[in-house]
Formats: sequence, structure tokens, C-alpha cells
Amino acid sequence: MRLILATAALAALAACSGANNASTSKNTTTTTTAVTAAPSPAPPGQVVKIGIDLPLSGGDASVGISTEQGALLAIDQAQKNMPHGYTLQGEALDDSVQGVHNPEQGVSNVRSFISDAAVLAVVGPYNSNVARAEIPVTNAAGLAQIGPSVVADNLTIGPDAAQLRRTNPSMNTFFRVCTTDSRQGSALAQFARSLGFKRTYIIDDNETYGLDLADRFEKDFTADGGTVLARDHLAKNTQDFKSLLLKVLAAKPDVVFFGGVTSTGGGLIRKQMFSVGLGKTAYMGGDGLADLGTVAAAQADGSYYTLAAPNAQKLPAARAFVKTYRAKYNADIGPYSANAYAAAQVAANAIIRAIGSSKGAIPARAAVVANVAATKLETPIGPISFDKYGDVTNPVLSLYGFKNGQPYFIRQIQLKL
Amino acid sequence: MHEFLAQLVNGISLGGIYALIALGYTMVYGIIGLINFAHGDVYTLGSFFALTILTALGVSGELHGVALVVDVAIALIGAALLCGIVGVLIERLAYRRLRNAPRLAPLITAIGISFILENVMQIWKGPAPVSFPAVVPNPSVMVAGVAIGAQQFLLVGLAVVMMVALQLFIHNTRLGRAMRATAEDRDAAQLMGININRTIMLTFLIGSALAGVAGFVSGVYYQSTWFFNGFGAGLKAFTAAVLGGIGNIAGAMLGGFLIGIIESFATWKFGGQWSNVTVFAILILVLVFRPSGLLGEAVFERA
Amino acid sequence: MIYAYFLIAIAVVVVAQRLPDKRAKRALFLALGIALLCAPLFDRNDATFNVLADAGIFVLLALGLNIVVGFAGLLDLGYAAFFAIGAYTYAMMASPQFNLHLPFWLLLFLAAAFASAFGIILGAPTLRLRGDYLAIVTLGFGEIVPQIFQNLTKYTGGPNGIGALDFPSFFGRSFGQSTIPYYYVVLALIALALFFAYNLRDSRLGRAWMAIREDELAARHMGINTTAVKLAAFALGASFSGLAGVVFAAKLSLVSPDLFQFQVSVLIVSMLVLGGMGNIPGVVVGALVLVLVNNVVLPQANTIAASAGLHVDFGNYHFFIYGAILVGIMLFRPEGLLPSRQRKEELHHAAA
Repeated sequence: MRLILATAALAALAACSGANNASTSKNTTTTTTAVTAAPSPAPPGQVVKIGIDLPLSGGDASVGISTEQGALLAIDQAQKNMPHGYTLQGEALDDSVQGVHNPEQGVSNVRSFISDAAVLAVVGPYNSNVARAEIPVTNAAGLAQIGPSVVADNLTIGPDAAQLRRTNPSMNTFFRVCTTDSRQGSALAQFARSLGFKRTYIIDDNETYGLDLADRFEKDFTADGGTVLARDHLAKNTQDFKSLLLKVLAAKPDVVFFGGVTSTGGGLIRKQMFSVGLGKTAYMGGDGLADLGTVAAAQADGSYYTLAAPNAQKLPAARAFVKTYRAKYNADIGPYSANAYAAAQVAANAIIRAIGSSKGAIPARAAVVANVAATKLETPIGPISFDKYGDVTNPVLSLYGFKNGQPYFIRQIQLKL
Repeated sequence: MHEFLAQLVNGISLGGIYALIALGYTMVYGIIGLINFAHGDVYTLGSFFALTILTALGVSGELHGVALVVDVAIALIGAALLCGIVGVLIERLAYRRLRNAPRLAPLITAIGISFILENVMQIWKGPAPVSFPAVVPNPSVMVAGVAIGAQQFLLVGLAVVMMVALQLFIHNTRLGRAMRATAEDRDAAQLMGININRTIMLTFLIGSALAGVAGFVSGVYYQSTWFFNGFGAGLKAFTAAVLGGIGNIAGAMLGGFLIGIIESFATWKFGGQWSNVTVFAILILVLVFRPSGLLGEAVFERA
Repeated sequence: MIYAYFLIAIAVVVVAQRLPDKRAKRALFLALGIALLCAPLFDRNDATFNVLADAGIFVLLALGLNIVVGFAGLLDLGYAAFFAIGAYTYAMMASPQFNLHLPFWLLLFLAAAFASAFGIILGAPTLRLRGDYLAIVTLGFGEIVPQIFQNLTKYTGGPNGIGALDFPSFFGRSFGQSTIPYYYVVLALIALALFFAYNLRDSRLGRAWMAIREDELAARHMGINTTAVKLAAFALGASFSGLAGVVFAAKLSLVSPDLFQFQVSVLIVSMLVLGGMGNIPGVVVGALVLVLVNNVVLPQANTIAASAGLHVDFGNYHFFIYGAILVGIMLFRPEGLLPSRQRKEELHHAAA
């Protein structure tokens, strides 16, 4: 089955790069001149690219590859909307070195995108630390970057974010289609209280996403009148969380909150809750647990997670996306496939509009940034538009539960900003 | 007290897996002085083989009676055998040529093989963690107020049985004596008419088969597996081997259980994020004060 | 274009190694040095100099580890810990973290000093251990250090690390986002490191290291204070990675624990073994080759394949390809790409 998947991915890649391969190398030079010189109509077969920077090998591949595939699918589908004479390509670079996501490699990848004049926008990265290293570079270069999954608050707002833009303070080039830790953490706290949970035991995976999310949840859950019994973090490179869960068992919580993703321990914790006798206790986390069912199957029942999107079952775009993704890759979507799809959709859409307003000439990168900032688009994760910091406006967060290992929608809230 | 016992039981179960993996490390190190970095991945491979066999047998949930014994035996022996073969192949293709090369060359080769195996497994069953069927029912008995599951008995039992069998094999058979002799002095052993290649091959066969057993057991115990598991587990199993005294079979066993227990207690007392730090700090202290490991580095002899 | 830099540098080192004439050798190196110095005048691509500066940082690391592993024969599997110590030194003392803004140039020295201090602290109790045990102790140290940086969130920013580090400046001119100044700093440090490495190798200390590497017992009987000599190797080796850490942190303007995992230590050891342990040019080549593979070729494998007319998705096979390269080189050239003559002979006699 994986073989089919690999072949499908391969065939798809071959198909999209095959048609215009011959012109790729030749046209790079043309592109350079077109950007610097006055607008002139693009020659037929002009290639423009969306760079994709994600961790694709080693341990991080577990989430990186399904995210990449989401973005590639969107780029593939955007092809039919490209103005005449243009071909849109996705160019994915791996930011893992020796199997660990690496901020330095991320910067290196982004710099190589910057030096390729055909690259008009970047989708990525996956990890907040990588984003923190890359944003100053894309900011200095004025290249639009759209993050599918990086949720740390201080990437867009606050003094830290201002520091990231210090080279080019007047320009914001970083956008994200995902939510932020503070939004999701406080939505989760509200949901948890509305489900009647009073006592929680909080565990995080000691990675940026999980730690920050759990911090925020802890703060808001307490403020809402809940009790946080204890807080714990996971070790790296281990499969055994039973000794941690024995502590949880002794504390008798109503709900175990997990900050992190399924592959960093979220899935194993749920399964091991059953073996220490916590099977009946509720389990809750953020969008990183969206794929919990694939690991925990029916043991996922009794778990809850949020998605930063309106009810997916009611969004036609979401249903279509899940179906097409399945058909193309012969696999279920990963936790951030839809986000990456939306991010690439935003990028492609901005490029198309920028080409439109430059009357068919290759647009400047700044024009693409402006078009991304002005985005109004329907995506599988709902309608997307950005505020001046690059965060999505009007955030809607939905609560999901599991029944027979399958997620079902419970309710949604609109956060007030 | 109750929690202490519960943590102890958990630590011993976890240690059983480390111990089984550590046996392979210690045997290979004892006989050719190689830190076989790919060994942790052979362990993961074991769980992948077991999963594939169980799927082929149509098993997707708990088994009972005859089916339980037969299917578990097929998956266990199958995984062990296949891993043994992979181990032998790795030795034949990657390490044998380097037996007389500079000492670090096979180490780098082992790291390379480890990457190759990880990538093959990633392609095989996908980059995300995979669910493993809960084949063995897990009724528990209460001992001093602590529930101990059947799977934990199975895990620890298997580890101990394997070690005893290995010990008997090494001490009471011709092949076992050949292994000890080769570990002691390869040239002398050769002069005594021992087939060195065959002996080393056998060492890899047994060590890798034990990793296969560990892979199966961990699949059953955790009901999940992931292509990248071997990295962390291998690192800790190797420290277990060193802790016990590398080259020493009983030492590997002891080291494995100790590392499991330390990890469990560290999580309990200091919090999960300090468990690895504690394990490695204790390792450093032990080595500084007792450099040959707890049981000494007897090469297949003592113990 | 980036390939040209790597391939020319590698070719020059390889050719120079084979030249029998010392003066010709020197001339060749000098020419390479001048060419590298002038390169930014003709090529203003930030991406290129970013990769070259990274490669240079790894050359520094490899040269440092070579003192420990190559010269003194002590297997260190936790070298990335010292790299981390250097990087965090800069991050904590030149950032808003504690509102300390010490100058880059001062911190270069401080970090080198810190790193060697830690080398001594770790080395003093453990250096009497036999080689394999030392390997494990250093491995443990390498696991502990980034984990501690990750856990002490208050001081180190935890898993988020510390960002927005100060841009270094040179006579009042800030480096900013350009990568070329870092490239020059790295070149200067490499020149310094090469100078030290060659002089150390030929010094009394260097001969003592070699004696220990060949036969520790005999060395002790000859009156060498083996512990002190090994400690010196550890401290000096660590200081190189302290320097590298500072440049690395400043250039990235970020440190976080995920940058210094065990895999980095393994990578640096691989550079040594691949290039030819103990041989300075060999080590440089090893570092260049692996940076080229890991940071340039593999991430771009798809693009390269496509331009060669192959439509294969290499994205899923990075580890496989990398592993195969390691295995392949070791099987066909176990003594490394560029071994020293002396070392080669040594190894033929005693494989220990």
C-alpha cells in the first residue's frame, strides 16, 4: 500500500515537473531580468515557484510528509487557474539534518529560495524554532512566507515578533493559516469547562508547540475556576509513559490534557492510559491530536481536540479535500495536511492575482506579499483573511470528540479578539 | 509504598525490553568490539515483522486459547528469525569486510546501516506511528495492591528465559565455546580450528533474533510501533549494556532492568523531562567510580 | 555555483596532499585562501555564503574534534555539547534574554574558555577510562547538556530557545542580515584553527598524544603524564567548538536545544572518519563532503534529479541515500578519503 502511495506521489511529481522541465533551467535567467526590468509579458512556459520548507526525513517525517503533500496538492490544483503561459511549481526542501528539524537548515533552504528569482512565496516551516530563524531572513528579502502549523504567539505579535522583523520593520512578510497558542489554549480551556471538567492533569511534550499550548491552557483553565492538579513534561526518544501515567492515576483527574502532537507521545499516552487503568478518564489536546484515531483507534474514544476551523463536516471544501487527498496519496490526511493545503492555496492565489495586476508580467515579490495580506479565500479550514500581524481574522475554533475511533464535531466558538 | 511498587513493576517491564536489546549489543561488542548502532533499528524491524505476520494471519484483536498460542508463537518466532537473517546479512554485507579496518570505520558503517533501515521502515509502513493489534489478553493479578498484567509477566518472563537459554548455550555447547574463544582471542581461536566467520555470523543471528523478540514484545506491550523507535531504545539499551559491563551477558540483563527502573523512578520523582538526564547522569557516575560496569567486562565467561 | 566552491576547495586540498614538494603545497593553499577571500567580490549571493559559512563552522568543529579523536585517540561521542555551550554563551550574553549585550569578539574568547572549562570538568574524572567507556560517558554528556538547556526554561528559554541575538559589529558596522561578514569571520577562525592544529601536532604535546594513541601503557612508562596530556586534548578540542558555537549562534540569531542533539555529534565524528582521522587536510575534506551532501545535495535532490531528466521523488529517501554514502565510502575506503601516510601504516599494524 505504501508502495502505491510512493508511486502515486512520484507519478504526480513527474507529471507536474515533466511538462515544463525543459524550460526550467533556461528560464531562470529570463526571470531575473523580468523582475528587475520593467513589466514585460512573460514568455510562454514561464515557471514560477512556491518554495516549501518542511522536515521530511527522520523522526519529523511523521508529520512533515503529510504536510508537504497537502501543499503539493494545492499547487497542483492551482495550475488550472494560472494565467496563460505560466506554470506553477512546488519546490520542497527538507529542513531536517540527520533526522532532526534544524533551524539552520531551514534558513539555508529559505536563502536558496530567495536566490531563485522564480520563487514568489514560501510555505512552511513546520516547527516554531525554524520559523523563528527564518522569519528575519524572509523579512529582509521581502518574500511572502505562509506558515501552515507554527502556532507560537510571539512569531507575529509582541516585542519578540518585532525583533524578528527588525531588518525591515515596516514590512510584514510572515502569515499563518493556523491559530495561535493563546487562542487555541483559551478555547480549549473554555471547552474543557463546558464539558464539565474540573480537575486536570497537564502533560506536554516539552517541544515549543506543546509547551506553549499547555502553558496557556493551564492559565485559562485555572482562571475559569478549574483545578490544575499537576504539570509534567515528556522525555524525548521514549515509548514508555506508563510511569508518568501512574502519577496521573494517583492524582485522579477528570481530564488529562496533552500539549503536543500524536507522534511526540500523544498517541502512546492515550493507549497507555488504558493499561494503567485511566481508560475511562477523558483526554484532551489541541489540533496536534487530530490524527489520534490512526494510532489509538477505538481507544481514542473519550478524547477531545480542537481545530482552528469551522465544522469540517459542513465545509464542502474540506470534504472535497479529504477525498482528493485520499485518492491521490492513498493515505489519510495528517494533522496539518489541510492547513498546508490552505497555505499553498493562499500563496498560489496571491501569485495569480499579482500576475493579473502586473498585466501578465512576472510580479515583484512585494506585490505577492501585498496580495497575500489582502487574501480573502475559502479553504478546507474555512474562510481565510489576515490581520496586520499576519494572523487569521475572525478565528473560529471547533471542538471534536471521537466515536469508534472516528472524529465527530461537537460545537464551535468564535473567539473575540 | 503502593506507588513505589507500581513504579517498580513498570520499571522492570520497561527494563525487560532494554535488556533483550542490550543482549545483542553486548554479544556483538564482546566478539568483534563493534558498537552496532543499527541494532536498535533491528529491534524496530522486529515489531514491523511481527505486525506484518499478524496481519497476514488475519489477527486484528485479542486472541484466546489455541489461536493465541499458535499465532503468537508464529509471530514471535517469525520476527526473531527474520531479524536474525537481517542481522546476518548486515554482518556479511557491511561489517565483515571491515573486520581489520580502522576501528571507527565499522562504527560509521553501522550508523549508515541504521539510517538505511530507518528509511526502509519509513517507506514500508509510513512515517507516522502504526497501531499494533492487542493480541495478548491482559488480565491482571493484584500483588500487594499493584496490578500486574499478563503482558508484563510475558515480557519479563521472556527476557529472563532468553537470558538463561543464552547462558546455557554459551557454556554448554560447542558453538557457544567457539563464541567465547573467538571473543577472547580471535587469532588463537582460528588457530584452534574455529570457523571465525561462522561464529561471528552466529553471534549476529542470535543477537538480532533477540532484538526481534524484543520488537514483538514491545509491539504487544505498547500496541504501537514507529519506524524511529529504535533510535532512542537502542541508545538506552546500549547504555544498559555498558552499565552492566559490556561483553557480559548477565550484566546486559542487569543493566537493562536497572535502566528501566531508573527511568521509571526518575519520571516519578523528578518529572518526565528529567528521566533521560537522570539515566545518563547515573551512567556517567557509575562509569567514573566503577569503570568496568557493575558486573565487570567478563567476555562471555563469568556471570 | 555553490558546487563549484565545494568541489574546487576539495580538489585543491586533495591535490595539495599528494604534492611531494612542501613549497608547492603551500602555494596551492595560499592560492585557495586568496580565492576564497576574493570570492564575495564577484559573487554576491547570500545563500551561497550562508552555506559556505556553515561548511566553515563544521570544518572548525571537525578540526577541534580531530585533536581529541584523531590526535589523542579519545573517542568523543558528545562533542555537540561543547558546541552548544559556546552557542548558548553567546545567546545568553548578547541578547535581550538577560539584557546583556557583550560584544561578539569578546564572547568568542569567553565561549572558548567556557567550553574548555567544561571539557576539563568532564574530562578530569573520566579520562582514565578505557576508550569505549569514554565514548559512552561523552555520549551521556552530549545527551544531558541539550536536555538541561531545554529544561531550564527560566534561563535558556526552554525548547523555544533564545532568539533575536545581537548582530555582531565590526568597527561599528553591524553585520545585519548579510551572510558575507560571517563568512569572513569563519575563514579567519579556520586559518587560526589550522595554524594551531598544525603547530600542536608537531609540538611536544602532539607527539605525546600520538604516543598515547599508539600505546598508552608504553607512553606512561616513558614518563608522559597521560591524564594531563589527555585533558589538554579535551580542553583544546572543546575550545574550537566554543568558537564555532558563537559564530553559529550569531549567524542564525537563535539558539535552541534541537540544534545540538546527539545526531550532530555523530555527524562530526563521521566527518573525521570519512575524511581520514588525524590528518588535518583529510578532516577538512571530510567536513566539506558531508556538508555538501547533507546541506546542499540532499535537500535539493529532487531539483537536481529533475534537471538531469529524472523524475524521482528523493524526498522520501534522504536517510537511505545518506546511509548508503556512509556505508559505501567506509566499505571501499575504510581509512577515509584522505588518510595521513603515517596513520595508514599505524593502522595496518595495530587495529586497536
